[in-house]
Amino acid sequence: MSLTLACQLVMNGLVFGALLGLVALGLALIFGVMRVVNFAHGEFITLGAYATFLLVTRLAVPPLTGVPVALVLGALAGWFIQRTVLSRVSGRPELEVLMVTYALSVVGLGLFSQGFGGDFRSYAEGPTGNLRLAGVVVGWRSLSVLIVCLVMGALTLLLVQRSRTGLGLRAIAQNRDASAACGINVPRSEQLAFSLAVGLAAAAGALVSLIGTTTPTVGHEWVLDGFVVVVLGGMGSITGAVVASLALGLIHSFASYALDDSWARILTYLLLYLAILVRPHGLLGRRAEL
Amino acid sequence: MIRERPATPVRRTVRSVRPGLLAAAALAALAAAMPWLGVSSYARTLVYYTAYFLTLGQAWNLMSGLTGYVSFAHGALAGIGAYAAVIALNAEWPMAAALGAAAATAVLASLVIGATSLRLRGTAFTFATLFFQELVLLVVRKLRFTGGPGGIVLSEILPVWLPHVMMMVLAGGASIAVALLCRSRVGVRILAIKNDEVAAAAVGIDATRLKLVLFCASAGLAGLAGAAHGLFAASLYPDVLFSVDVSLVALAVPLIGGVATAAGPLAGAVVYVGIREVLQSIAPGLHVTIVGLLLLGVVMFMNEGVAVAIGRAAARWRGHGGRQRARAAAGDD
Repeated sequence: MSLTLACQLVMNGLVFGALLGLVALGLALIFGVMRVVNFAHGEFITLGAYATFLLVTRLAVPPLTGVPVALVLGALAGWFIQRTVLSRVSGRPELEVLMVTYALSVVGLGLFSQGFGGDFRSYAEGPTGNLRLAGVVVGWRSLSVLIVCLVMGALTLLLVQRSRTGLGLRAIAQNRDASAACGINVPRSEQLAFSLAVGLAAAAGALVSLIGTTTPTVGHEWVLDGFVVVVLGGMGSITGAVVASLALGLIHSFASYALDDSWARILTYLLLYLAILVRPHGLLGRRAEL
Repeated sequence: MIRERPATPVRRTVRSVRPGLLAAAALAALAAAMPWLGVSSYARTLVYYTAYFLTLGQAWNLMSGLTGYVSFAHGALAGIGAYAAVIALNAEWPMAAALGAAAATAVLASLVIGATSLRLRGTAFTFATLFFQELVLLVVRKLRFTGGPGGIVLSEILPVWLPHVMMMVLAGGASIAVALLCRSRVGVRILAIKNDEVAAAAVGIDATRLKLVLFCASAGLAGLAGAAHGLFAASLYPDVLFSVDVSLVALAVPLIGGVATAAGPLAGAVVYVGIREVLQSIAPGLHVTIVGLLLLGVVMFMNEGVAVAIGRAAARWRGHGGRQRARAAAGDD
């Protein structure tokens, strides 16, 4: 394998991994703060993808404006669902909360299938052309996705790791009751975490519509990989999720080149079973968390 | 019916077991006789699907309903059973051997999930089942002997009554088995695991082994249900067989009807098939959405399921009606 080819594959892997990272960041945030496995996460990716698709094809705006729009739309949808559904079931047994998010995902899937049909949708607008750097060809489309992902990911990490609000979120993740006793507003923090995570998912969906095709199940496919990453990274560990996303992106990229896309996915899932078997608490997670 | 409150008089549940079991067996026998009773093929198909969903639901109930370990893989396990049965029959195996192969393949496949994740508590098992569906779909589409993305067709033409009778036997047998299990000592051990696994282990219950055995039994049942349905459908397409819908049915049926009871999945299957039929004529595209909303409503507001909620409402109604009606009801027993 030549060096240029390797660079090319690394680049492809980074784009995939960065997008996956946005999804996984949200999943890890929700699990860490709310102890909820959000099966409906994928439907918000689909929401962002369709919203951007409609914006571009109906209103003829540039696709990248879909990212902030999807972010806000997703955050609003997340806030609404947290208020109306999830806050009512907090504290219930794990199985029930799991079923609630699963049911939400089924509702979303049904609505998207009904509203848009099974067609594959994509558009040609947006950044075009390639950037050539020492033989490595990178499409401006992928590059813009990578840059937007990195910026959003960095801002989120900054918010969670460096701000006072983020301190509250991390405190709740460590010990919910003690945080409440210290005066941290737990319900409001949960709302914030859920809205932010869902907003990120929708923004990721906007980017997915830019480099891929949009179908009612597009989010479902992404969120499965998101779960792989969250489990590998240690449930609820944000750094773990980001590292695992990039690693999975690279593995996927190289495996897709050496074999094909299906085998790359098969490999991913087998890797997950192996990881659960060998390190049940994830690569970076703490022992008690799973 | 297992209740978590020990206040329920034990004698009454024991006495109510046998008539219930007899009724279940009679119902299954009646439904199995449908091909010879001159019933319209529409009604027969409805009953068939009710039984298919009931069997899948009981299979899910056996593992997830009783232990609380949620499985998203039962659709995939049924799909594996269907493939195994059709491939075996196409290779000229006798019917019994083909069914055996279907159950065995599903059990072996379940061991992939069980062996890796059942040692752990909580969400690891659910995750492992979630990926399983996707993994199986990808693998089946890749392998040559499963026909790849095009699927396979059963070469032998079977009589119409055969899959119907098989499914009725499975549905009746599974329901009776779950009813008996709930009342056995093993059933109590399982309940202990569901309530507090650490405490259960402390009193000497081998939780991992019990969970693994239950999951294998549950997978075998799902495999058999899939096999019977494979004979009914006769042509298998991977994208249909391993779609999320089948796994959704397997868990929606017991959850809607009532988890960890033998009667719950029956109520759930009837409700599910009814909704599907009604929606097919009114709003065919909204079927998945409505089932999702129903599931959401049941889990949020009626988390014991429809069957238990109706039973409780009936008991309350009897209570309000004064002693006379209660005495009359007791006299009827």
